[in-house]
Amino acid sequence: MTGVLTATCIAILVVMAMALARALKAPTVYDRILGVNMFGTKTVLFIAVVGYMTGRPDFLDIAIVYALISFIGMVAVLRFFEYTAPIE
Amino acid sequence: MSILDYFSAILLAGGVFFSFTGAIGLFRFPDFFTRVHAASVTDTIGVILIIAGLLLQTSFDLNIIKLLLILAILLLTSPTASHALAKSARHGGLLTLAESNRSNDR
Amino acid sequence: MPIIKRFFLLAAFWLLLSGHYDPLMLGFGAFSLGLVFYISIRMDRLDGEVEYITFGQRVVRYWFWLVGQIFVSSIGVTKLVWGKTSDLSPSLEKVPATTVPDSTQVLYANSITLTPGTLSVDIEDGDITVHALQKKSLQELKEGAMAKKISEIWKKER
Repeated sequence: MTGVLTATCIAILVVMAMALARALKAPTVYDRILGVNMFGTKTVLFIAVVGYMTGRPDFLDIAIVYALISFIGMVAVLRFFEYTAPIE
Repeated sequence: MSILDYFSAILLAGGVFFSFTGAIGLFRFPDFFTRVHAASVTDTIGVILIIAGLLLQTSFDLNIIKLLLILAILLLTSPTASHALAKSARHGGLLTLAESNRSNDR
Repeated sequence: MPIIKRFFLLAAFWLLLSGHYDPLMLGFGAFSLGLVFYISIRMDRLDGEVEYITFGQRVVRYWFWLVGQIFVSSIGVTKLVWGKTSDLSPSLEKVPATTVPDSTQVLYANSITLTPGTLSVDIEDGDITVHALQKKSLQELKEGAMAKKISEIWKKER
C-alpha cells in the first residue's frame, strides 16, 4: 500500500509543479494568483498523503493549519490587488 | 492488500487524474475565466476523491474527524477563493472571452 | 445561536482536535475556549443582528446531493479539457436568486461556484452573475434544479 501512496505523492508533486509554473509565468496577475491558490490546495493534500505514507497521521494537524493559512493569504493578496492590478 | 486497500487505491488514482486534468486545463484554456473552471475541478472532485481514499486507510479513530474537517475547510474556502478571484478580476477590468471578441470586432 | 449550544460545539471541537486529555492540556483548552468566547461575544455586539443557517441533517442531505452533482459536472469539464477547445462557449449571464429563501442565497451562490463549469462572479439585488464554460450549463441552471433542491430542503423551517 505504501507504493500506491508514494505514487500518489509523486503525482501530486507533478501537479504542484505545474501550478507553480503557472504562477511564475502567466498572462495576467489573476492567473498567477489562481496558480498559487491551486498550489496551496494541493499542498494540503500532499501533507496529508505524506503523513499516511510515513505512517505518522499527526501530519493531518499541519494540513489543517496550512489550509486555513493559505486561504487567509489568498484573500489578503486579492484584497490588495482588487482595485490596483495592472493588466499586462 | 485487502479489498479496502484496492478501493482506496482506485479513489486515489481518480483524485490524481482529476487534479492532473485541472492542471492541464490551466494551460490549455483560452482566457482567465475559463481557467478558473479548470482549477475548480482540482479543488472539488480531486480533493473529495483523495480525501475519500485516505479515509479508507484510517482505522476508526480521531483521524477520520480530522480528514473530514480538512475536506470541509477546503470545500468551504475554495468557492470563496474562486469567487473572490473572479470578482476582483472583473473589478480590475478583465474582460471575458466573448466581451473581448466583441470589442475587437468593432 | 444560544450561548450553551455554542459552548458545547466549541468544546467538542477542541476535544476532538486535541486528542490529549491530561489536566495541563485540558487547562489550555479551557483557556482558549474562554478567549474565543470573549472575542466572539464582543464581535456579536458590534455586528448587531446575526443570522445563522441551521446545520443539521438537512445540510448532510444537501451535501450528498451536491457531491453527486459535482461529480457529474466534473466529468463534463474533464471532457472539455482533453477535447477540442473549440467546444467551449464561455458566456456570462444573470441568474435570478430570488427563487431560494433569503438566508440561503450565499449557499446557492457558493454551490454554483463549487460545481465545476459554472462560476458565480457577483451577487447583487437578488441576481447572481454567473460565468459558465458552456451555454448549456447556464441553461440547466436557469431551469433551476439546484434552486428547487435548496428551497425544498430549507423551506420547511419557516
